[in-house]
This record gives sequence, structure tokens and C-alpha cells, in this order.
Amino acid sequence: MDGRFDIAIIGSGPAGITAAINAKIRNKKVIIFGHENLSNKLYLAPKINNYVGFYGISGKDLTEKFKSHLYDMDIEITYERVNNVYAMGDYYALMINDKIVEAKSIVLATGINFSNPLKGEREFLGKGVGYCATCDAPLYEGKVVTIIGFNEESVEEANYVSEIAATVYFIPMFKGDYKLNDKIKLIKDKPVEIVGENLVKKLILKNTELVTDGVFFLRDNIAPDQLIPGIEIEDKHIKVNRSMETNLPGCYAAGDITGKPYQYLKAMGEGQVAALSAVSYLDNMKK
Amino acid sequence: MVKHITDITFNEEIKGDVPVIVDFWAPWCGPCKMIGPVLEEVAAELEGKVKVTKLNVDENGVTSEKYRVFSIPTILLFKNGNLVDQIVGFKPKDAIISWIKNHI
Repeated sequence: MDGRFDIAIIGSGPAGITAAINAKIRNKKVIIFGHENLSNKLYLAPKINNYVGFYGISGKDLTEKFKSHLYDMDIEITYERVNNVYAMGDYYALMINDKIVEAKSIVLATGINFSNPLKGEREFLGKGVGYCATCDAPLYEGKVVTIIGFNEESVEEANYVSEIAATVYFIPMFKGDYKLNDKIKLIKDKPVEIVGENLVKKLILKNTELVTDGVFFLRDNIAPDQLIPGIEIEDKHIKVNRSMETNLPGCYAAGDITGKPYQYLKAMGEGQVAALSAVSYLDNMKK
Repeated sequence: MVKHITDITFNEEIKGDVPVIVDFWAPWCGPCKMIGPVLEEVAAELEGKVKVTKLNVDENGVTSEKYRVFSIPTILLFKNGNLVDQIVGFKPKDAIISWIKNHI
């Protein structure tokens, strides 16, 4: 993954793969981040009746057709998680764990599989609430940190933080055997609200309350304005125009993330428009 | 130009009529590295209208503790030595510029 890509596509559902196919046809250097199943929403659909040409097809069968289409066109999906995308001016920096991938333009096609923020989460962002425990851990030396984990990786982050913080609480939001070290206190309860004054003081749960200096949310899918700071949101979706342009130059969005109807064909149409808009943006850049 | 400031020089640096922004950063912080060059551009574009500084939280614990910086990058904006506004996390150049312009 060296050199700067023309287009980085985030998401491998119908919108993302359609964007990739169209960008590839226009000979652009493309990278697409996604999942092995492409889109779990599609993969798990028992029957689809409005996908033109394939009446009654199952999500699994349609996924296989998509995969062979991608294979035939030499489009490979990168199975890595993009943590953040930063608008650097004339390019975008995609943060992938400790790696940085650069792209001149972006197509956001992540779907809408993210949860609503907890009460108090937005208000206390940067005042005790954070999304990257390993990043901010050194600022919590000798303090109390609560980690609300949504995946296996969050366990590793909790273990890391426990080496720095005085106390670490771990609240799992997923099922599994949590390989936490002995210093961490496992709390199986449902978070309700974060309270404090200028800074976080407490996390209120359904059955208990934790006095804590910090609360980290380690989710699989983060809200679009957390993923790409500065992007304009309207009614929980990314604001786009008919060319699928967002407010950030060179950044496009397609699919469920732009709003209803949450339909495969609508997502694909938008993915195509987004890719073609990105192509003309790139062509204008050269001039 | 972005000026590096410390616990010792902090109070002196944030004085004055021109608004001062302080970028709290650390070398181990990914988003801090990315916002660094963006702030260089902001400093060049708004030269004379705003003073852009940065403070390493690892080496300057007193100031970070005083302003309770718990997430980096955090950018604080001072006017006449008083804290008037803050932003947390990476922001694109245009967003930072319009944020500063609200205070000029």
C-alpha cells in the first residue's frame, strides 16, 4: 500500500463496490476497505425481490455474484479497519492502526450501522470521554478509567490502559470470554448516562454507578463525524448533493449513510455517481 | 510559524490583544501529528491575526493539568490571557480558520 491512491473507498457494501468498479473502469488507482462478507446486511438477507434481473435471490447468492464480479475485474478488498480520515487540504490521510494511507479523494460508503451516542457522551467529549483509549491513556496516569467495549480489540486496549491508570473498569457490550488482566474490574451492566460538571465524574449504569475520570467508547462503527472530522451531518446522515459531494472537497458519500431509502439499488446508483464525481475531481486537480 | 511553548513560558505567551491558540500535543499521538502541518498552514494564512503555539503535554504537565486536557489534540484559544474557547480532536484547516475568525 505505498504511494498516494486516487480514490479510497470505505465500505464494501453495494455502494462501495459499485464505486470501486466504476473508478477502476476509469483507470484510477483505488483502494477499498471492507469485510469478507462485503456487507452483512446484504449477506444475511433471506430474499430480495426488487433487485432487477434476479427476482427472489438470496443475499448470500447475490454476494457471491458481487464477489465474482470484483474478482473478474481484479478488485481486491482490503480487510482493515479505518479508524479516522483526516482532511489534509489537497489529500486525505486514513489512519489504520499505526499505518497511514493517503488518498486524493474519498468515497464514504460505510452504511448506517452505528449506534446513537450515550446520554452525556457528546457533551463530555474531550472532557473525559474519548474514542481511542491507547491514544489518550498517558493522560490518565493514576486515574480511574472506564472502558465500554464493543469488540475483542477493546479488551486489548483495556489491558494496555490498566498498565497506566490506577483503576480500570471494563463494561462489555458483546459476548465472549474477556481475557482481561487481574487489575481490571469487569462490570456487566448497561450504561445509561455520563454525568459531571466541567469534566466527567460518574458513569451511571442500570444497576450501579461508577465514579470515574474517563469513559472510552470502543465501537466497531463510529459515527461519520467521528470518522472524518469536519464532515457536515444532516439528520444523522452525511449531507450530500446530487453529485454525492459532501462539504469537504474531494470527499463523496454514497449508500445508506446519505439517507433513506435504505435500498441496494439506490446505494449502487449513488456509488456510481460518487465514483464518477471523484474521477472528475481528480481530472480537474491535474489541470 | 508555530511556536513551541512550555509550562515556564506559558503565562507570558498567552498575553496580549492578538488571540493565541495553544495546540496541546504529544509525540505518540497520531491525530496530533496530522494536525501539526494543518496548524502550520493556519498560522501562515492568518499571520498577524492570531498567534499559533503548541505545548507538549508529556513535558509540560502543569499546564495540561491546569486546563484539564484529557484528550489530545486539544486546541485552546486565549484572548488577553483568558481562555475563551476550545476544540478537541483533529479538524480540517477551513474549520479551524472559521473557528478562529469567530474570535478575531
